[in-house]
Amino acid sequence: MNESERSGLSNMRDCWITGGAAANLAPAGWKEIVAAAPPPDRERLLLAIAGQALDVAFRPVAPKTLVRRPALPRLALPALPEGLRPPFRVALRQASDARGRMRVARLAAARGFVAHPFDWMPTASDLEAPPVYAPWLDWQAQGGGKIERVLDELKAESWDDFYPAARRIALADIRRSDPAKARALLEAKAGGEAAEARLALIALLRVNPSAADVPYLQSLSGDRSGKVKQLAARLLARIGQAATDGEASADATELAGFIEQARTGLVRRRIIYMPRELKSQEQMQRRAELFDNCQLIDLAARFGVGEEDFIAGWQLGGKDGADGAFAAMVAASGGDAAVARLAERLLAVSDLGALLRLLPRLDETARRSFTKTALAGGIALLPLLNAADEIEAGMLDQDELTGSRLYQEVRAAIVGRTETDRRVFDLAAFGFLATASAADAIVTDLTAAGLASADPSLALLRFNAALGNLKS
Amino acid sequence: MAFDLKTIEALAPDQASLSSASKLTKRSNWVRLEMRDAMLWGECQGSGANPYRVVVDAGDQGYTCTCPSRKFPCKHSLALMWISATAPTEFAPSDQIPEWVNDWLGRRRKNGGAPAPTAGSAVKNIGEAEVGEVDGSAEDPAAAERREAAQRKRAEETKASIVVGLEELDQWIADQLRLGLSSFIDASGERCRRIAARLVDAKATALASRLDELPGLLLTLRSEERPEALIRELGKLVLLVRAWRAAPDDPELKRFVSSSETREQILTDATALRITATWEVLGERIETRKDGLVSHATWLMAMGGLEPRFALLQDYYPASAGRRSQAFSAGERFDANLAFYPARQPLRALVVERNNTVALDTSWPAAAPESVSDPLAAHIVRQDAAPWSGATPILLPAGSLARDDRGTLWWQADGDVNNIALPVAGNPPEPVLGIPLEASVGLWDGARFDLLAARSAFGRLDF
Repeated sequence: MNESERSGLSNMRDCWITGGAAANLAPAGWKEIVAAAPPPDRERLLLAIAGQALDVAFRPVAPKTLVRRPALPRLALPALPEGLRPPFRVALRQASDARGRMRVARLAAARGFVAHPFDWMPTASDLEAPPVYAPWLDWQAQGGGKIERVLDELKAESWDDFYPAARRIALADIRRSDPAKARALLEAKAGGEAAEARLALIALLRVNPSAADVPYLQSLSGDRSGKVKQLAARLLARIGQAATDGEASADATELAGFIEQARTGLVRRRIIYMPRELKSQEQMQRRAELFDNCQLIDLAARFGVGEEDFIAGWQLGGKDGADGAFAAMVAASGGDAAVARLAERLLAVSDLGALLRLLPRLDETARRSFTKTALAGGIALLPLLNAADEIEAGMLDQDELTGSRLYQEVRAAIVGRTETDRRVFDLAAFGFLATASAADAIVTDLTAAGLASADPSLALLRFNAALGNLKS
Repeated sequence: MAFDLKTIEALAPDQASLSSASKLTKRSNWVRLEMRDAMLWGECQGSGANPYRVVVDAGDQGYTCTCPSRKFPCKHSLALMWISATAPTEFAPSDQIPEWVNDWLGRRRKNGGAPAPTAGSAVKNIGEAEVGEVDGSAEDPAAAERREAAQRKRAEETKASIVVGLEELDQWIADQLRLGLSSFIDASGERCRRIAARLVDAKATALASRLDELPGLLLTLRSEERPEALIRELGKLVLLVRAWRAAPDDPELKRFVSSSETREQILTDATALRITATWEVLGERIETRKDGLVSHATWLMAMGGLEPRFALLQDYYPASAGRRSQAFSAGERFDANLAFYPARQPLRALVVERNNTVALDTSWPAAAPESVSDPLAAHIVRQDAAPWSGATPILLPAGSLARDDRGTLWWQADGDVNNIALPVAGNPPEPVLGIPLEASVGLWDGARFDLLAARSAFGRLDF
């Protein structure tokens, strides 16, 4: 198309937009084409030529403002094979929330696969995503620019070469192997990060805490972020440092007022600490706030004892969720020994609701105990098992699962019942916990019991079993 | 619980359904028959371009089918039950339940028991259905002549009616130019509805539907793009009208103006192009139209050839028939013989014979070399041959997507030297912006590129 045609077409278009005859504005060559046609036809024929010219003679021009995103990094694990993508998607669809979908991805990662990016991707704020997804977290957080960086060892000098998720994971690795080096890096560089990023980085000091961390953590009492200050206070408490500021002391004193000290036993007169009965909603709310703000060490000090003695004397079974709130405080600020002691006591009375709060602080053996207790406890504990994020994926074999009381009750709710009076429970926990062969066996067993073979509740179990079939 | 013939007889809505089902019990009608536990499913090549997917639960006699029939169960469901009762070995045991069967199972509500026999069960007889139509009496030659004469007369009347309708359309287009496209865009719904109604009266139903869809098409574009889109579309209509007047019996033009051939006409047309190949399902587009019909388009591409060859399986069914599941799975490949509707650039097709799904062991054909410098080269060829055509399927070479400052996505070829980029329709998933596309297939409608599928280092991408 030449310039005259281009200009003629533009004039005709403008004329037609407002309305009127555009024949006189047409390029000379086009006028010739339509000259032989009767006048009423000419305008339509010019329209046809113009339309065809727009269709074939013009190409859309790339805008100057086009922004390309960096290439999506390949992850360290292979993507799920095509054949496993449909059961993976079905399992994702059946998950009720983002946490459930994350669990499906964790199961896949535990078996050596990552999701196809069109099926699932963690969002930039999904810090709990399996570490293998760190490059995608950084890609999500990155609006544009290059992302393919050759990552050296994380040092103060290379700090800015790392994107946030990759940096956090590298720092976590260093903290596990060389706690002092990780702390030194934080001292040098964390102050330059935004509050949320600073909080996530300083939280890494939860691993291998020691007295050597005290000066740095104490320096954070002046941090501009309240959340960082609170985290530092909790970490200090975990390594035996009581609060020094007046506000924290006042809170601990107020919380102590919600707890009654007494003696029990006819001979040994043991000291116990009983949560007082609350009389109003306001009291409940205030006590919950105080448990959230206070550290165990400060509370124990109000009663003149150490953490472990206080836990030993804590009277379990208090009303209004006292044990759960207490366990949350212990999980956040208690020392390792105190956490272990409380976990032991909670396990002994099978208070898994409170124990769930301690799970992030427990070792693998204690977590397994939690799982086994839940399985032995029956169907009422299924929601707790579904809520436990810290449990390792795909570790329980068939006997451990199908022999449990919980499973037997799930099965009993299916077998011999019709669709209308059958209750099918959320079986995601079984899908997540089972080994592949156990998952396969459970699917077989439940379908034999009467559950439809494609029942949606079997989705994660089926995906788990399919992962196993792939490897075998 | 397996089916028996008594149960099927009781479930059938009427004798006609049983008779129709009887004809579909031949194995050759079924592309796939599979089972797992009490679930039976199959794909039946019915009268539509897309196969019907049928699932039956022998446990509680639940069923579903993607056909638009308003009879429940439809003849396809009955036929599947019938095969399970009389030839259960035809069903291949399957380890995996297809996603579309799972979808149905996830959505369905069971009633907990076998459905009650239909009211007319007393007058249905499966034995009679098996006998089939026995009325073999030949038509009286005089009656046949009268019927054919009546048909010819009706065709002439239709043609005359269309001529009148197209005169009105011509005048209507001239009026829009005179009144201004700006005011047309503001009132396109009302104006198009009026002329579409006139065209329906004139029996130019295909053209009427196209005009009915025009306001919706304009709404998908930015306001500054609408006048040019309108000029393109009205220009195409002018060309189509003139072409039809010159050759009213041309099958392609007739299809664009009034109505399409039947499946039987295409299958018996010896001149219809037929291609046997391995076809990959690129994707489906299911849209409800203003005229109350649902347009169900399945796009296929032949594998292994030197240049891309596309096919479109197009069905229409009433929206009142409810939502239909997909007829194919995206990415599925199968060997099939397709018959194409006669056209200057044949695209719409029917499956004549389809074999089982085949492995993904062949790659896509290469994009035309010139598509790097001009990604719309294939569209130009098609427009030159049939300027009234709509969207063109295009296989694009290696490229990637980028976003402009208004949020629109654009596809651009690697190594593009002419600064061409195609605006992309819809909202593809965000990760695609970080995935170099080795090849992409989509539909170019003159304004937007509607991505169907792409190949990448992450495997096949479905949009």
